[in-house]
Amino acid sequence: MTTTVLPEAHSPHDAPNVAPPGARRPARVRRVPVSLALSVAVVVLVVAWALLPDVFAHQDPVTGVPAQKFLPPGAAHWFGTDHLGRDVYSRIVHGTASSVLSALVAVGIGVVVGGVLGLVAGFVGGWVDAVVGRTVDVLLAVPGFLLAVVVVSALGFQTINAAVATGVSAVAVFARVMRAEVLKVRRATFVEASTLAGGSSLHVLVRHVLPNAYRSVLALSVLQLGVSILVIAGLAFLGYGDPPPASDWGLLVASGKNYPLAPWLVLAPAAVIVVVVLSVNRVSRRLRQA
Amino acid sequence: MSETEDLSADVPATPELLRVDGLTVGYGREPVVHDVGLTVSRGETVALIGESGSGKSTVARAVLRLLPRGAWAQGSVTLAGHDALGLSEAQFRRLRGRVVGFVPQDPASSLNPVRTIGAQADEAARLLDLPDRAARRARVLEVLARVGLDDPERVHASYPHQLSGGMLQRVLIALAVLPGPDLLVADEPTSALDVTVQQRILDLLAELQDSLGLGILLITHDLALAAERADRLAVLRDGRVQESGPSRQVLLEPASEYARTLGADVPSLHPDRFDALRARRSLAPGAAPQIELRGVDRTFRTGDTDVVAASGVSFAVARGTTHALVGESGSGKTTAVRILLGLETPDAGEVLVGGEALGRRSRAQVRALRRHLQLVYQNPFTSLDPTWSVERLVREPLDRFRVGTKAERAEAVARALDDVGLSRDLLGRRPVALSGGQRQRVAIARALVLRPDVIVLDEPTTALDVTVQAGIVRVLLELQARHGLTYLFVSHDLGLVRQVADTVSVLERGRVVEHGHVADVFTDPQHPYTRALLAAVPRAAQHPTTAQHPVPAQHPTLEPVP
Amino acid sequence: MSGRHGVFVARRVGQAALVVLLTYVFTFLVISVLPGDPVTSMLRDPENGFSDQDVQQIVAYYHLDQPVLVQLATSLGRFLTGDLGVSLRTQVPVTQLLGDALPSTLELTATALGVALLLAVVVAYGTQFLPPRLGQGIVRAVPSAALSVPSFVIGIVLVRTFGFQLGWFSITDPDSLTATLVAGVALGIPVSAQIAEVLVANLDHERTQDYVTLARSRGLTSRELFRRHLLKPSALPVLTVVAIAVGELLGGSLITESVFGRQGVGTLVETSVTGQDLPVLQAVVVLAAIVFVVVNLAADLLYPLLDARLRPSARSAAPVTAPARTLSDAVAGAA
Repeated sequence: MTTTVLPEAHSPHDAPNVAPPGARRPARVRRVPVSLALSVAVVVLVVAWALLPDVFAHQDPVTGVPAQKFLPPGAAHWFGTDHLGRDVYSRIVHGTASSVLSALVAVGIGVVVGGVLGLVAGFVGGWVDAVVGRTVDVLLAVPGFLLAVVVVSALGFQTINAAVATGVSAVAVFARVMRAEVLKVRRATFVEASTLAGGSSLHVLVRHVLPNAYRSVLALSVLQLGVSILVIAGLAFLGYGDPPPASDWGLLVASGKNYPLAPWLVLAPAAVIVVVVLSVNRVSRRLRQA
Repeated sequence: MSETEDLSADVPATPELLRVDGLTVGYGREPVVHDVGLTVSRGETVALIGESGSGKSTVARAVLRLLPRGAWAQGSVTLAGHDALGLSEAQFRRLRGRVVGFVPQDPASSLNPVRTIGAQADEAARLLDLPDRAARRARVLEVLARVGLDDPERVHASYPHQLSGGMLQRVLIALAVLPGPDLLVADEPTSALDVTVQQRILDLLAELQDSLGLGILLITHDLALAAERADRLAVLRDGRVQESGPSRQVLLEPASEYARTLGADVPSLHPDRFDALRARRSLAPGAAPQIELRGVDRTFRTGDTDVVAASGVSFAVARGTTHALVGESGSGKTTAVRILLGLETPDAGEVLVGGEALGRRSRAQVRALRRHLQLVYQNPFTSLDPTWSVERLVREPLDRFRVGTKAERAEAVARALDDVGLSRDLLGRRPVALSGGQRQRVAIARALVLRPDVIVLDEPTTALDVTVQAGIVRVLLELQARHGLTYLFVSHDLGLVRQVADTVSVLERGRVVEHGHVADVFTDPQHPYTRALLAAVPRAAQHPTTAQHPVPAQHPTLEPVP
Repeated sequence: MSGRHGVFVARRVGQAALVVLLTYVFTFLVISVLPGDPVTSMLRDPENGFSDQDVQQIVAYYHLDQPVLVQLATSLGRFLTGDLGVSLRTQVPVTQLLGDALPSTLELTATALGVALLLAVVVAYGTQFLPPRLGQGIVRAVPSAALSVPSFVIGIVLVRTFGFQLGWFSITDPDSLTATLVAGVALGIPVSAQIAEVLVANLDHERTQDYVTLARSRGLTSRELFRRHLLKPSALPVLTVVAIAVGELLGGSLITESVFGRQGVGTLVETSVTGQDLPVLQAVVVLAAIVFVVVNLAADLLYPLLDARLRPSARSAAPVTAPARTLSDAVAGAA
């Protein structure tokens, strides 16, 4: 008798049937991976920071104590203090709202405008599809970050405008994915089956196409949330958001960059951005798998 | 076993090529194959039969050591004298191709789409000791010709998408026999092909076997085909061998309950099986046709070429009877059905429903028509919205046509589920949580719930196992007897058509080449195409006592490939 | 066949030209229609030192006193003859400004693209050949981790490490070879992560395909499988991702040039944004669009040469998966 655990092989398919993969329900216990649990915890914490900053950070984010400038991270100041003696942790927490909520605004614009464009283009087809298609081509042709910079420079340098600009640059991606999903679902047999069962176009669109298309758009929204946080941080870094004493995360990095001897001024906000975006992306990955 | 030894050269003198003993295979903790044993000798075909999930492909892959990552195998597999499970991957690799070749199920996905046939064949030719590339090329061309490909040079230079399914399967067989293996493992080698092509591919395998002395392990779900082509059978269910023995014995005198059921459910073995059930219908003699197609034409343009999907297609179905549309892929069956349902507009011709010509129908009229004309799709895995519950799926037609009150609709849904033999406990489930057979019953309940006059059944059992198929067919015939339904039954399975249909139209390339009563057409086919289709039904099924696999002379016997 | 191919090429070229024109119109409208009148306020700002005569000249040149559509028509007409206008801030023709800024930026983006491709291939190779439990898990996490780091942070860390601490490159000459290489790494890492994600997803997908199993049954080793069977079908869709990445590199150069103190298109944009120098801004956007459109056009025309299934002669019945258009499409499709 020999037992062999066969390494390295390729096809997981056994059933020689026309059933698509996943047709047989896997009897699996739902266990949440540690990384996912941590990511969700981070997201929850960040939302709490954004909504109730004073609960989490008691020190003044705007007025510092000059005598305490450039203190390295320690028990009193978790992330140290800056050149004016302000607590960096407190500044990060108070900057959460504009750094993260503006990303939500951006994604919201992308989902709504892009989603509707893609839905209409995919469902109506014909010249509507052509017009939307060219519009999306234009939006795709301009690099997202450059587009955001141009829009924010036309609207004025404020964080909310940066959010709108980021949203505009995300419209194309959402429109494309939504259109592709709608086209895919529209061709599905069950959609034709619904028409045969007497369903009107509107019924088919709302009851069959949308519920089947929304999942990938949802996963994309969460992914795009991470991207938007990065883009908005980039805009703030270049000074296109609210001016100091606002404490958008990107702005914190930009001002910290001038003090190479106090590396925590860059590393603390940078680490927060990385952890938050990592967590958001982890959640998105999970949504895409399901 | 030393690494340097040439594993391919010393095939032992015993005729036994493959011996599997106590083979247990599992994914993760769960074993899916239990204690399987079988042998294959030189020149012998052994068929491993089972329905989906029986573990037959897992056995094949364990023998070939192609199991997916994380799978384990226990027991012993002796391949031409080598302990196949005990060898290292590097050692076993030397047996691949040279000792054991593999012919897979789906020819379309089994060749790399971005490389030419020649480049992939060269990999197989490298296993032979040929001096250079030119010699390998010559051998490849020789073998491509050997498997009956007319223009080997062109095939050699082609990409997979440029060849038909039948040609690709020939290429795959050529690639498998090219390095001169002793054993071929063929996993459903013809399931993806049309019946007449299927026939020719199996003939080719048999002929190669005879001239090369190959042993073949044939994996299939088709008992009739296995009985015709194999010397011995092993019937597998839930990963266990239920019965094994000489083909005729297993087919004609099955010892196990499961083999008996399996045999009873193969349509071509029992043409009269449902006659009693069908006799319960009360048919009015000379009733007017319920549906009729008259001279329907339809041509599709793809790129620069016209594809004639329907040309002068006419047929009529009397109320309460079943009419079958028979043909292979591309014969125009589906187009005819879609025209009838108003999903496709004919270029010419008429569609009559209930004696009324429905030439220029308005949208509302088409919608009203659909209430009385329902469709059951071929694949229940794609025809049910995965996000909906069974209850909502079955109720959708009632909701859309605003039939009855809320309570009446609920009642109708429950009744429809009873009709198709589904428990009401399933109402809250989504399609993923149902088996293939249950899904198809849901699809039938959905078609039935409006109490239509006509139900179009587009290959309703093709995606299902034969035992599940038998249950579905029974339900359909019971419903017909109870509700006086008219069926248009599209199928490529002549055995099944013979069991369920009253009349039949045979389609070939968009034309009706023969039509009439099922009994007449089957016993005395007039058109050569009908005869070819009938000939492709496994012979063991038609004349069980004379079952022998034939060696046709259509390919002159060439030099055996060493 | 060649005739049909010609029609295909002509159509794609026409579409590309249309997109460039539409981009010009779109940018123009964004800049002139959105609220606020940055140009006039900039011109009237005494700090900028425009004389009344200057202002009148500029207003007359750009028809700023006339309706937007007239301005657009004038501007578009000039654009079609290759005239991108004159910088409001420096009074230098925009083409000249761009011409000065472009070489440095092209050098940077080309370096970044090279770095990105190299890193992506190394990571993808690692995911396929490192031992599953040890190295692979780590390598597989690398792309998504890299995608979570803002490019300016990568830049600052690199400047501090290589510039200040190791002193590998001179801060005074950001255009030196090492400086360009380090800046290219900073700009290339995020793009590299995107390419790697798609490449790895494709490799994982291809590995489960029937033809790979069958090739294994012919006795191919893992490395032969990778080289002969997996690499090409997995890399083909990446071409699209790379083409899109070129656009992202141009956008990203804004931040990278700022962090590394390089003079290029990015810094040109930065000064134009601060100085509300709209003609320059508009020209840069259109230039980026042209680069993007040309690169993607090249990719589209290249596909049929690399993948026989996409050739016009291919049987129309063949099931062809069109190459993914955007990164998210590609990722979503592979997932």
